[in-house]
Amino acid sequence: MSSADSKSNKKAFLIEIVEDDASLANVLQDKFKLEGFDVSIAKEGEEGLAIALSKRPDLILLDIMMPKMDGLEMMKKLRNGDEWGKNVPIILLTNLSADDERINWAIAENAPAYYLMKSNWTINDLVDKIRERLSRK
Amino acid sequence: MLDGFAYCQMIFDAQGRPVDFIYLLVNKKFNELTGLKGVVGKKVTEVIPGIGKDNPEILEVYGRVASTGVPEKFETYVKRLDVWLLISVYSPKKGFFAALFEDIHIQKKVEMDLANETLAIRNLLSDIKIQKNEVETAKVKEETALLAIGDGLLSTDENGKITLINKTAENLLNLRSEDVVGKSYSEVITIENEKNVIVPLDKRPIKLALTGITTNTNHSGFFYYYLRKDKTKFPAAMTVTPIILNNKVIGAIEIFRDITKEKEINKAKTEFVSLASHQLRTPLTAISWYTEMILNGDVGKVHAQQKKYLEEVYHGNRRMVELVNTLLNVSRIELGTFVIKQEPVDVIAMAESSLDEQKFNIQHRNLKITTNFDKNVPQLLADPKTFPLVFQNILSNAIDYSYSGGKIDFSIENDKGKNILIKISDNGLGIPKNQQHQIFTKLFRADNIIDKNTDGTGLGLYIAKSIVESSGGKIWFESEENKGSTFFISLPADGQKK
Repeated sequence: MSSADSKSNKKAFLIEIVEDDASLANVLQDKFKLEGFDVSIAKEGEEGLAIALSKRPDLILLDIMMPKMDGLEMMKKLRNGDEWGKNVPIILLTNLSADDERINWAIAENAPAYYLMKSNWTINDLVDKIRERLSRK
Repeated sequence: MLDGFAYCQMIFDAQGRPVDFIYLLVNKKFNELTGLKGVVGKKVTEVIPGIGKDNPEILEVYGRVASTGVPEKFETYVKRLDVWLLISVYSPKKGFFAALFEDIHIQKKVEMDLANETLAIRNLLSDIKIQKNEVETAKVKEETALLAIGDGLLSTDENGKITLINKTAENLLNLRSEDVVGKSYSEVITIENEKNVIVPLDKRPIKLALTGITTNTNHSGFFYYYLRKDKTKFPAAMTVTPIILNNKVIGAIEIFRDITKEKEINKAKTEFVSLASHQLRTPLTAISWYTEMILNGDVGKVHAQQKKYLEEVYHGNRRMVELVNTLLNVSRIELGTFVIKQEPVDVIAMAESSLDEQKFNIQHRNLKITTNFDKNVPQLLADPKTFPLVFQNILSNAIDYSYSGGKIDFSIENDKGKNILIKISDNGLGIPKNQQHQIFTKLFRADNIIDKNTDGTGLGLYIAKSIVESSGGKIWFESEENKGSTFFISLPADGQKK
């Protein structure tokens, strides 16, 4: 299927998906698995933070609007935590436009790798973007 | 002799009324004045027929003088002879009179002119008095109205000293008129900009108005916080206008309105729009990604007919996403929430990127693109997140409204080193002349493209124009139906701070 599969002696990348919409989380998971990634899913920020700190994914796909703890807060906590948290690549994947001052501040302070609008990205292009970021460790 | 002279015998009727007289002696001047000749020995009624009717006063006076012997003097206009005369009459012998005639038509004219002028001046004075009253009444009305309006109002003299402050301003600022009139504006009132930074004196609108730099400041999204003595503050929309008399600035008027309520409403609207668009986009994303997965063959083989149908689903979904994005952009423009963060941008890179985005459409319609990007074009101060929308919208129009196999030219040039001039032209459908004035209005789509193309919201150019103008630029076009259109955008090279 994909090139990642054939390199079976190489450990697959772990992508953490933090997304409260189950439908979206599932299709992303299906796609990433097909592409040879390992996937972990969290439904909101608190769960996401716990999983991130314990599993240490290679990249986090982070939604913003979620119940309990939103994506910006989770990102802030990661960046203010240990060395790993400061450096893990985070892609903010949301349907919110960056109009809010709060979002802009968070981006400026916590340096996500990208801020992507879900509805403007095809799932294939998303995969390419992730691969590109991962290749730049 | 300068006067005309006539010596006559009076004729009375049976009742003793003067009815006629006979000319016994006249001089040459008399002939000249009256134009009468050979009157000696004749009766006046023969010589000037109708004299009794036209000028009965003449016979009366002559008769009186001839009987009483008391001299008289009078003026008369003899119609028959068309002459103004001053007549002095005396009687040397009872029943007889002598009259001296002076032509006074010149004096008469002067008198009449004088009378007319006097009348005219009186009328003028009367008018002036009326107008003065009207002006004074209006002035009082205005002052009362000004003082009573719901907005805060204050005026200063040419030195920035407060001359007037109305009740609303007093209330909003927690000041009393008697405490502030005569004081310098900057002593009394402190304002902050939207970022809560105190505005220095030389940048304050009143200062700018007094030095003739700006007239109105317009307040769409542009407001100040007014600080009260107790350190509380409120947001206000403000307009400052200089008062100009004989080309000199003699003061300024500042009007401001508390917009706390408006800002709250705006904030609520913005949050609603943000939430709504987020909610709309989520299911659209689901449709998009799932359809994509099927089309990719990631969940099983898809035969040709299925592929075709799924592509329609996908296409419809894409249109909806575009629509949501467009509606959101329009809403952001209206609410003033387009966060215009100006930075130096590489406008050529932006243009190339926008062409790249449209690669598929360009190929699909077999269009030939020529570009002419001047490398020496300076950097532009613009918002890198929103400015691409300008290219996106104009370019997609050029593509959508071109004929298959058409041509699009895209150029960026340096305009006299002060501006950047961008041109995008096509040789497609063009815009009908009678609809050209509506092109930038919201939701407008010209008749000739509504028929040919059902896609399109009519919002793209409205958005493009809003972004260009808030970057300090201008946008316009030339177009001819069925020949094509050229859109021009001119932007200041060093950008402009809002």
